[in-house]
Amino acid sequence: MTYKTDEIWEDKWVNTTCGVCYCGCAARVRVVNGMPVKIEGIKESTMGGTGAGLCGKGIAGLMYYHDPSRIKKPLRRTNPEKGFGVDPKWKEIEWEEALEEISTRMKKIMADNPNKILFTNQTNRASDGPHNHLYFYAKAFGIPNNGNFIIGGGSLHCGNAAHMLGGLIHGAWSIAPDWRYTNYVLKWGSSKGTGSGHSAMTNARLRADGIRRGLKEIVFDPMGNFAGGKATQWVGILPGTDTAVGLAIANYILNTRGEIDELYLRAKTNFVYLIREDGTFVRDEETDKPLVYDENEKKIKLFDDPSMAFEDFALEADCEYKGEKCRPCFMALKEHLKKFTPEWASKISTVPVATILDVAKGWVDNAQIGSTITIEGQTFPYRPVSSVTFRGSQGHSNGIHQVAAIDLISQLVGAEDVPGGTMGWPSIRRKYPGGQYERLPKVGKDGVIVPSVFYSHDPWPVHSPSYPCTNSGCVEFWSHSTLSHIPYVKEKDYIQEKFGVKNVQPEMIFGISVNFLISQADWSAALDNFKDCFVVQSDIWVNETDQAIGDIILPDTCYLEKDTWSSEIDSFFFNGSPSNEDWYVHLQNPVAKPIGESRDFMNVYLDVANRVGVLDKYHDLLNDYYSITDERLQLKHGEVLTWKEIGERVLEWVYGDDKEKIQEQGFATWHKPIEDVYWRWNMPTRCPVYMEFLIHDRRAAEKIIKDTGFELEMDMDQYGPLPNWFWPTSHKELDDEYDLLAFSYRDVLHTNNSTFQNPLVDEVSQMSPYTFTITLNKGLADKKGFKDGDIIWLENKYGVKENGIVKTMEAQHPKVIGICGQGGLWADGRPIAKGKGSNFCKLLPSYLRHYDPITGNIETSVAVKVYKD
Amino acid sequence: MKELNELEKIMFRSSGNGLKPYEWMVLPTRQQQWIDDKGIFLWLAFFFSEIGAGLYFVSMFYEYKAGLILGWLITLVLGGFIHVLYLGKPMRAWRMIMKPQTSELSRGIWIIGIYAVFGFLQMVTGSFNIVLNTISGILCLLIISHGFATMNVVRALPAWSSTMVLPLSIVSGIWVGQQVLQFMVAVSGSAAMASGMEIWAETFFFAYFLCVLLYAWGTYHSDDIGKASIVMQATDDELKKITWIGVGGLGIVLPLLFTLIMWGGDTNGVLIFLRLACVFAGDLALRYVIMKSALYKPLLTRQ
Amino acid sequence: MPRWGMVIDVKRCIACWGCTIACKEEHFLPPGVFFNRVLIGESGKFPSSSKLIYPILCNHCTDAACVEACPTGATYVREDGIVAVDDDKCVGCRACLVACPYQQRTYYDQKTKDREYFPGQGKTEMELLGEKLYPLKVGTVIKCNFCSERVDAGLKRGLIPGKDDDATPACVNACPVGARIFGDLDDPDSEVNHLIMEKKGKQLRKEFGTEPAVYYID
Repeated sequence: MTYKTDEIWEDKWVNTTCGVCYCGCAARVRVVNGMPVKIEGIKESTMGGTGAGLCGKGIAGLMYYHDPSRIKKPLRRTNPEKGFGVDPKWKEIEWEEALEEISTRMKKIMADNPNKILFTNQTNRASDGPHNHLYFYAKAFGIPNNGNFIIGGGSLHCGNAAHMLGGLIHGAWSIAPDWRYTNYVLKWGSSKGTGSGHSAMTNARLRADGIRRGLKEIVFDPMGNFAGGKATQWVGILPGTDTAVGLAIANYILNTRGEIDELYLRAKTNFVYLIREDGTFVRDEETDKPLVYDENEKKIKLFDDPSMAFEDFALEADCEYKGEKCRPCFMALKEHLKKFTPEWASKISTVPVATILDVAKGWVDNAQIGSTITIEGQTFPYRPVSSVTFRGSQGHSNGIHQVAAIDLISQLVGAEDVPGGTMGWPSIRRKYPGGQYERLPKVGKDGVIVPSVFYSHDPWPVHSPSYPCTNSGCVEFWSHSTLSHIPYVKEKDYIQEKFGVKNVQPEMIFGISVNFLISQADWSAALDNFKDCFVVQSDIWVNETDQAIGDIILPDTCYLEKDTWSSEIDSFFFNGSPSNEDWYVHLQNPVAKPIGESRDFMNVYLDVANRVGVLDKYHDLLNDYYSITDERLQLKHGEVLTWKEIGERVLEWVYGDDKEKIQEQGFATWHKPIEDVYWRWNMPTRCPVYMEFLIHDRRAAEKIIKDTGFELEMDMDQYGPLPNWFWPTSHKELDDEYDLLAFSYRDVLHTNNSTFQNPLVDEVSQMSPYTFTITLNKGLADKKGFKDGDIIWLENKYGVKENGIVKTMEAQHPKVIGICGQGGLWADGRPIAKGKGSNFCKLLPSYLRHYDPITGNIETSVAVKVYKD
Repeated sequence: MKELNELEKIMFRSSGNGLKPYEWMVLPTRQQQWIDDKGIFLWLAFFFSEIGAGLYFVSMFYEYKAGLILGWLITLVLGGFIHVLYLGKPMRAWRMIMKPQTSELSRGIWIIGIYAVFGFLQMVTGSFNIVLNTISGILCLLIISHGFATMNVVRALPAWSSTMVLPLSIVSGIWVGQQVLQFMVAVSGSAAMASGMEIWAETFFFAYFLCVLLYAWGTYHSDDIGKASIVMQATDDELKKITWIGVGGLGIVLPLLFTLIMWGGDTNGVLIFLRLACVFAGDLALRYVIMKSALYKPLLTRQ
Repeated sequence: MPRWGMVIDVKRCIACWGCTIACKEEHFLPPGVFFNRVLIGESGKFPSSSKLIYPILCNHCTDAACVEACPTGATYVREDGIVAVDDDKCVGCRACLVACPYQQRTYYDQKTKDREYFPGQGKTEMELLGEKLYPLKVGTVIKCNFCSERVDAGLKRGLIPGKDDDATPACVNACPVGARIFGDLDDPDSEVNHLIMEKKGKQLRKEFGTEPAVYYID
């Protein structure tokens, strides 16, 4: 700080938003002589860690700016051959040439069928600025339903099941404990609060304070590392078996202890809806609304009959409607749960019976059912217990049942969106005082919440599977997948043919710094599915996907050079604080000038849209998205603006007279009233915990399967209304030879694979025992004859293998092998990353049976054999 | 040193201590500064000051001036100069006299300085009076033990702070010095004198042998880390050769053989030379393995 | 005169390495040089084993082995307890480096200076600028100085180390979970002292007898 010399002509700090992962923490950057030299958090903002705290990889972010491997001019592949290990023979070309070629191709494809253009992005701000805008940018090209949006860096491992349930229950993208008030947290394979997931450092700060307050954290996870290693109690569990333990705990709560939050269940869930013998809702013929039974008046009524008090909704009753026997679906749950004993769950999950019972008992004892708390003058139910999951436990072929079982525990004690309970990310976004943009969830069909924002199609109202499908994602059939898995599925061609997808064989991919070839599953399946496309990517480096199949690579600016005014405006439900904290919304201010000829991809997008002739349509979509009604600020047809110029208008719309102050400050903050934090209690919505729609979906799907003669294996029994136990595909593939389950997890140091190229992160990764290594339980290693430092091979049943360096751990389940993150990289364009770590993704088989039939989540554990050379 | 596997080489920066970066101070971690790379100078510097002073010391008893001069030169020129070369800022070497009250290294510089003056006086005057001899003798013993004493005060390294380090150092200094002198005497034609010195050679050899054994035994039983150091000396891929061939074979077995052949004073120049060569190599090897195998206690422990 | 010290709350720490990297940026340290590190390991046996995470840095010991070993007086304990190196006096003998039981010192030689963050691609402008902004002398020993330049400059401006970021070590500011607390060990009312008393703060490897000024609470 003090060693200044005459050569220093500038030394200042600029507020911006971190772009190293998707959390968007507040960041301030020290700029000396026009160069970023240090990054920390912003003390005045709660977006992120304590005080000016920021995680290591965030602090290391400045290396994105300084990396000499960054591309500085557009690159054109001159070798027509594509594939792994093929030299693309890059040639530098001018921007004009690149953009002209891209738009000419696009126009030609659009004249035929716009669905042949695929879009994709990386949930990694390092190069992606406003990652949410890409979804509706695609719409400007006439591509509906996100069916042609292929999953990028966050990969299929991400939250198809978690997002679906988060959306249905909380109107939110994801869930977290209400750290400020909770006392007892169950984490199922999730690292929320210990480094990963949404709002990672916000959660970490809140969790750390909670832990100091005496909060107990029990982590069910195959390994005791990031989450388990910091927990009050780590419980080793087999991957994909959380459902079993969850159901056993639910059974304990409901049938053994019988201590449930009856008022909550009557008031806020659909467990009071009447069902027939076949499990479907009994609906009013006229209004099609589900019916309930009024205990007080002993009468069947509409579920939203205003005459009923919450206490009147019957959870248990035998009634008859128009001659048909019916009962509240809660009764079905009660019966259904009885078979899930702790002994049964223990056999499946390997968690000892006593542990299951201890945890279940702790849960009920801590739930304080019936208690209330008054915050800021308002009284709410107080349920200081929370059960959360994310990528880990939901990433299985039984994913939807995993998340539903984990959620059920909270539901039964009423610990949902109340102080101390399980929270969704904010579902509400209030106007900035004096500004305009506001997002509020709605109450939809059957009283279920419709989220105010959702990145892909809304989880509610649901659409039953239909056919023929119109896009390569076949989202008409897989109507619950947040983003479709089909483009990556090995039998993609067969599926598309059977489901009547015509003339959508993708011809072009437009991506933003995505490494989709190597970060999903079976590399060769992905290569087969995409190698014939014309692949355009905007990125700061040439990554593995680019080297294998990229045609034109456009040099993007890194986040430190971006003017991404939009970065957080609508990310309240993605990056905001899930607990009781004020609103904080950040801008990504540029701290340095773009490197070489690099251009922010948003400007490239606008340019391409203009050339292709869809810019006006995109302007309309933007006006609509931000609900801009002020004519002066609206984006008009015929205007050609830069992303910054668009920002000037949108920001004025959003922040009114405070626009400039906020731009300068780099963030906006205003009070979040307590009723917006715990919004559910005052909103007449009901959680669709009884997923009745799946019964109808099953019927629809089975009909399509029958009609089309579709013969691929799909476990249709999963289409059931209540969480149930299904063996994950990986477990079914275990045998004497392939005797272990490999799984992967997120490392606090890494965001997908982009951080592997950061030398500051690289050197600390080397000092972290589990980051570049393959971990296995010490006892297992002894049995197999492995020791620390050995090179071992993992091989799946389909002959795909990967090697790596052994690091033994005590805190790892003896039946599993762990690999963190997305290592095993080989692109020449990223020399720091090259060769580091091992790649887990390639080991995941990608047949349809390895996917959750409902959400499209890939099975993220895999049966492997392990051996030394 | 174990050949690093390719994968390991790509993933982990080698720090030359045989550990992966994540094992540093989590497992017992080897001292590197005073032996690896340029640290090898320190090994030589300590060795030369020791044998130089040893030679000087023994020469005084025989009033053998050539030994005096050679010893003085070895200590100052080879020992001192090599040590200065090791420094990051050699031109500032004079600053090392600043902290004799706490720093063993600083004290050593003072002693060498005084020794330089007294030795010079003694060589010039050719005087072997009791006062000068006593002063020079004490200075020699201090210099002989200087290297190991500097290492001995490092409490964090049990392989160095072990009790037997100082006695071993003094005995080995005198033993090697005595051997150099015996050789000088032999080649200068004084066969009778050389033969007469053999009784002392026998004595110092067995004292040396005993000290080595006691050092190994004592350090092994000092604590886990001392034990690990001894195990490392005996089993590490690189060190075991130096330990068994250098310290054991050249430093002990062969000198023992030669000593037995010449038992009772039946000396001859060739054997004296061969024994000196072995003793030289053996002592270098001993110092090398002691310096190379010093391990720090890991820091990671439940507090 | 205060005596600066630190409390590290290992219960809060999530091993994100923020301290390590922030320190490197603050001091423009070359590759492979760390004034802050995180040690990670385990204790106990499956299934009741637990992860150990210890962020470490110079302990600024009261009875520092390095100060004792230094032959020139270049390494010294300041009045405020910070163990500092005067790089005009250091001869690079590395006695301190060998003596430190916590191994918190680094010898800065030409080889270290020449290291590039992007090997073979030349030094970045930031690395070159860093050499001007925070010059390190080749041939001397470098180490964590509790960001004494921040502490000193902050005090001159009337700021309070440990409270005001500009007067507080970079690693403390950087910690996203508030696991580092900096303050005056001689002030009985300081937060560090309260934490040490309340949570029974322990020094790392107390048996070395150097009286560290860094305490750990669990």
